[in-house]
Amino acid sequence: MRVLVQFRTSSEVHAATLRGEALPSFAATTEAPVPGLVIDPAFTPVQVPTPRAAEPGASPYLYSPAVSFSLAPEEATYLVRGAVPDDPEGQRAVLAEATARPEVVGVFADPAIATCLVCPGDPAVGTDQDVADQLGVAALADAGMDGYRVPVAVVDTGVNLAHLKSKGRDPKFSARRSWAPAGVATRPGRHPVDHGTMCAYDIGIAAPKATLVDHAVLLSSTPGETAMSGLLSDAVLAFSRLLGIVSGMAAARRALVVNNSWGMFDPAWDFPVGHPGNYSDNPAHPFNVIVASLEAAGADILFAAGNCGRDCPDGRCRFQSARPICGANSHPSVLSVAGVDTGKRRVGYSSQGPGRLDPAKPDLSAYTHFRGSGVYPADGGTSAACPVAAGVVAAVREQYPASVLTPAELRALLAKTAEDLGGTGFDHDFGWGVIDGRALVPALAGIKRSRRPAPR
Amino acid sequence: MVTLRLDPSQASLRQVLGLLDLAPEEVDPGFGVVAINPAAHLYTILVEEAAANRIAGAPQVEGVFGNPRIEGFDPEEGEAPD
Repeated sequence: MRVLVQFRTSSEVHAATLRGEALPSFAATTEAPVPGLVIDPAFTPVQVPTPRAAEPGASPYLYSPAVSFSLAPEEATYLVRGAVPDDPEGQRAVLAEATARPEVVGVFADPAIATCLVCPGDPAVGTDQDVADQLGVAALADAGMDGYRVPVAVVDTGVNLAHLKSKGRDPKFSARRSWAPAGVATRPGRHPVDHGTMCAYDIGIAAPKATLVDHAVLLSSTPGETAMSGLLSDAVLAFSRLLGIVSGMAAARRALVVNNSWGMFDPAWDFPVGHPGNYSDNPAHPFNVIVASLEAAGADILFAAGNCGRDCPDGRCRFQSARPICGANSHPSVLSVAGVDTGKRRVGYSSQGPGRLDPAKPDLSAYTHFRGSGVYPADGGTSAACPVAAGVVAAVREQYPASVLTPAELRALLAKTAEDLGGTGFDHDFGWGVIDGRALVPALAGIKRSRRPAPR
Repeated sequence: MVTLRLDPSQASLRQVLGLLDLAPEEVDPGFGVVAINPAAHLYTILVEEAAANRIAGAPQVEGVFGNPRIEGFDPEEGEAPD
């Protein structure tokens, strides 16, 4: 881990500064090196002005009322760049040793910085081909994993197959297993081009041969304030049908991937936390129960983490300081997917953990905000990240049904093989990192494949 | 939504109306009786709020829950490309 170490002045530094010379090397700023603290010799020490409190006894770090600063050599401090061990124990030991030194003011994080994060409305970053390259789709396909005949349910605004074909996708489609709430006028596979069609396109990045199952829950005519909203009861009905589908499959070939790029934007839509009828924090809510039940039956359920990230939340977010990953999006039985752009930077709107039902959310990240389906200028939101990950899951399921690799085991494997981003290991921005098909292939090698792969 | 624990033989709308003394117009027939955890004999029905409060104490009722609005996490941006 990279750090910045702030030193008090030494006699050598003081003398050099008084002579108007360039700052001496780090070696001159301290008597003895701190074991485990590796100083970057390429980094020229930087003089840091010392703040002086406005009033006696006040903290000089409040900055209000205004403080003054001193650059006098005998008062100023110096910053050097270094590194400490990544392992928590080694790190603790080095920090304890360093901060005990009288010449050390402090050791501070030196996080990677980047240009501004991608926000809603920003132009696309890369294309779906870039996403395929980053995911390692070729490695998955070479290992015989492109989702052939694996059913993937798109629980969304419906799918438009003609649009997918116009964009070069030609997925299999199961009208028999598809469903729409009562009152929806259009037929499965022929719904208006919208959010669900974007999701279907993005599933095809890693699983072009998957069989799409269209559950147009968000087209429900149940009263909602926008054209893209339904009520959770519609999702209960969809999941009930999916439970019937997966339960009816032969155990040895059981595979169903369920993509959910939706959730709540406003806690006012729910009973308050603590109320027995609450959804967001309540594992006993009927939808949270059926989610657990569907996963236990062998389905892989993916939920988008949400678009209420702290840096630039979607304008509809009303969570204020409360945790935005809630309800089924935070369920321990699902894979909660955060969003990164094709440069592997978190998109600023991607909701951050902890989750409400399971604090260890999001589970991992996947790519979003790229030019792809043509439904939007960018396939964006964690809405696009979720089906990108769902495609990888569907690709794996072609060879490894739930009978040989349970949904929980597959989630653990995806976490283990994810490319770590952010801090070391799990963090609440990226989860375990960005999904990585290239690393997944060798990790699957030790697992027994399905005895009878589906004939092509 | 009201979660019920029922014997599978009771998991029909007709049976539930009788068991809980509900009028047909108080229950959403399109929703029906949905198995949410068949192994645990848990089902859910969709009823009017007043009816849900009335039956909350019945022995078959496990809980009365909200039915919040949901929405797609779509990109919040301008016009689609040509």
